[in-house]
Amino acid sequence: MMKKRLISGLLTVALGAGLLAGCGGSSSSGQEGGDRQDTSSVVVAMGPTSEPEAGFDPAYGWGAGEHVHEPLIQSTLTVTNTDLTIGCDLATEYGASEDGLTWTVKIRDDVSFTDGEPLTAEDVAFTYNTVKEESTVNDFTMLDYAEAVDDTTVLFHMTRAFSIWPYTMAVVGIVPEHAYDSATYGSNPIGSGRYILKQWDRGQQVILEANPDYYGEAPKMKRVTILFMEEDAAFLAAKAGEVDLAYTSATYSDQQVEGYNLASYASVDNRGFNLPAAGATTDQEGRTVGNDFTADVLVRRAINIGVDRQEMIDHVLNGYGSPAYSVCDQLPWYNEASQVEYDPEEAAALLDQAGWTMGEDGVREKDGQKAELHLLYSTGDSVRQALAADFAGQMEELGISCTTEGVGWDTAYDRALADPLLWGWGAHTPMELYNIYHTMEGTGTAQYSPYSNETVDTYMDQALASPDLESSYELWQKAQWDGSAGVTQEGDIPWVWLVNIDHLYWVRDGLQVAEQKVHPHGHGWSVVNNVDQWTWSQSGKD
Amino acid sequence: MTGKSRSCFFLNRRQSTLLFLLVSLVILAGITVAGVLLEEQAAVTDFTRTNLAPGRAFWFGTDWMGRDMFIRTIAGLSLSIRIGVLTAAVSAAAALVLGTAAATLGRRADSVISWCIDLVMGIPHILLVMLISIACGRGFAGVVAGVSLSHWPSLARVIRGEVLQLRNTPYILVAEKLGVSKLQIAGRHMLPHLFPQFLTGLILLFPHAILHEASVTFLGFGLSSEQPAIGVILSESMQYLTTGRWWLALFPGLSLVLVVGLFALLGERVRYLLDPSSVHE
Repeated sequence: MMKKRLISGLLTVALGAGLLAGCGGSSSSGQEGGDRQDTSSVVVAMGPTSEPEAGFDPAYGWGAGEHVHEPLIQSTLTVTNTDLTIGCDLATEYGASEDGLTWTVKIRDDVSFTDGEPLTAEDVAFTYNTVKEESTVNDFTMLDYAEAVDDTTVLFHMTRAFSIWPYTMAVVGIVPEHAYDSATYGSNPIGSGRYILKQWDRGQQVILEANPDYYGEAPKMKRVTILFMEEDAAFLAAKAGEVDLAYTSATYSDQQVEGYNLASYASVDNRGFNLPAAGATTDQEGRTVGNDFTADVLVRRAINIGVDRQEMIDHVLNGYGSPAYSVCDQLPWYNEASQVEYDPEEAAALLDQAGWTMGEDGVREKDGQKAELHLLYSTGDSVRQALAADFAGQMEELGISCTTEGVGWDTAYDRALADPLLWGWGAHTPMELYNIYHTMEGTGTAQYSPYSNETVDTYMDQALASPDLESSYELWQKAQWDGSAGVTQEGDIPWVWLVNIDHLYWVRDGLQVAEQKVHPHGHGWSVVNNVDQWTWSQSGKD
Repeated sequence: MTGKSRSCFFLNRRQSTLLFLLVSLVILAGITVAGVLLEEQAAVTDFTRTNLAPGRAFWFGTDWMGRDMFIRTIAGLSLSIRIGVLTAAVSAAAALVLGTAAATLGRRADSVISWCIDLVMGIPHILLVMLISIACGRGFAGVVAGVSLSHWPSLARVIRGEVLQLRNTPYILVAEKLGVSKLQIAGRHMLPHLFPQFLTGLILLFPHAILHEASVTFLGFGLSSEQPAIGVILSESMQYLTTGRWWLALFPGLSLVLVVGLFALLGERVRYLLDPSSVHE
């Protein structure tokens, strides 16, 4: 009897000790969330829209398109450096002919695809001819055809001079000619990049493993798992300690996640309104084009200096953002003359000068007409909705009555021809300036919002025709403001830029994320551009 | 049964039902009118008072743009009720016309209309509402078109059955023999008989219409996001649930349930009053 009791007592003590040890163990691992056994792998949570629908095929938008990033699985000829100038990946040297119509690129001879076949100029030429034919997301009309002269030299024959071709070369991943089948390549890509696609569970995750034969510096992260989840799920995943880096937004920035810190990376992911710079008319398709109120340049100037960008950042982005003055803030082709000071009195004076005098109800009037703006934003985007609301509030203070409306992208492009729409831009190429401000052939106005200025067009045409990239930067800057004409406050100001949205991430303590390039528009793959250089620090806390 | 209900407040069943009808009608009308008056205030954003929990100043709290959720909820319910009234009226009218036509215009018309009823009933409601709403360009017009064009079949079927039954009743047959025209029979002899069924069906369409309006908007195929619709409020609130802002979903959701419940009870009670078998209880 005594014996039995003793044994049961001992067992109880042992069980209790076990439980305690168990608790202790779990609580300690909970506290040191950053302390991980495996120091060569990382789990990243991205939004569901980051999952490439057509797979990892550069011809169908992988790495390119609206949201540019490095293709990781494939190599590119050039890369963009952290300051957004051009560096080399496969290319050893590159240059354009005097007339800009031929680009010659020499490539490394020591690169092979992950199936063992060497990567030659033939593959490069094949890739570019394929994307020219197939690409639905990028414009390749400036390329006539690509041709391999020998194993390491590629010639690009252009249809027109295109000095910023190196920026295009930085987003096109090179595919193997011998193993490319457009039907299967997207889900089974073979490349020569830093990572190999190990597994892709559609709608859930992508697993990348380091390429053991990579020609450059060996990736430090051997295994990268990308999970696709909604923002709230990503937040909960971070809270549960299931991911090492999770995207998030200003909505969550006042939250605390134990074992994680909130990392904020600067971006050119800007938001701005187009201000139609022409009077209202109806075009052949029956759409209203132009806006009688914003057609007056003085009104557009008043709006540009009458908006307090910092207030917007504090109100809507919880402080995680920077004022935007152009579509390309801080990029090599940015003209600092774009920057303006918030000056509501000057804005009011400009409106008075334009003939819009303050009415009794606090709304300005001119010839019996009320000063009104109908602001559009893409429905379902809470940040844009809040930005539009804050902008509307600030405009009301200036005496401009505002209404806001959420619209779907199916109608937004047409509606924006007549009313200001809150856009998001910010790409790693000066071509964006061209797309926004350059007059289109045929219509006599720019693509997204009525505007046209010959001087601006000429600078951009010259920039594209410039024989080398360095000198084209200056011309792109002059297109924005050359001292007498441009798209800045002193110029035509056909768009008002508001904020650059910082990209926010929950980062597990101990994860050293390598220095980030200024992030482009799109809160997705950009963050893992240099995942091969990420490391885990030895101790979870330092 | 009848004796017991007298004990409370000296009202019989009929009186208490009437009182309930009156009170709920006043509540619903009050919400509707208040919502119309508050519409402008519901859109007011103020970034100095964002994300406040429910309190004395803001009964339902505020959202991420500093909008007063109580005012938004009232405006949203009002919008829902107005859409509900409009769509229920359109649906009920369509159901009445089609149901009567099916039963009186002969076999061929009946089979065509019955086929239409089966067709529309065969497609899940929410899917049909979404499709019609998108086809009509979303927004207010899209939602009204979507909800009213998809809710008539069940009522139409009931009315058709009722009319079929009525057609063979002796008094109708006699009227026919006496040479009364079809239109007159339908108007004078059938409609009064159909009225209780019709009115109950009409009122019971409300909750359906309101719920479908809210859900199609919640899914992003209905009203646009700047409008103070309950569906918009609920879908926005989903984003903030994980950060602990429970009030954004709870109060508007509860209010929607209450309004819908009120309508359902209203329909029920109206039936008691109008149905000959229960009218004297």
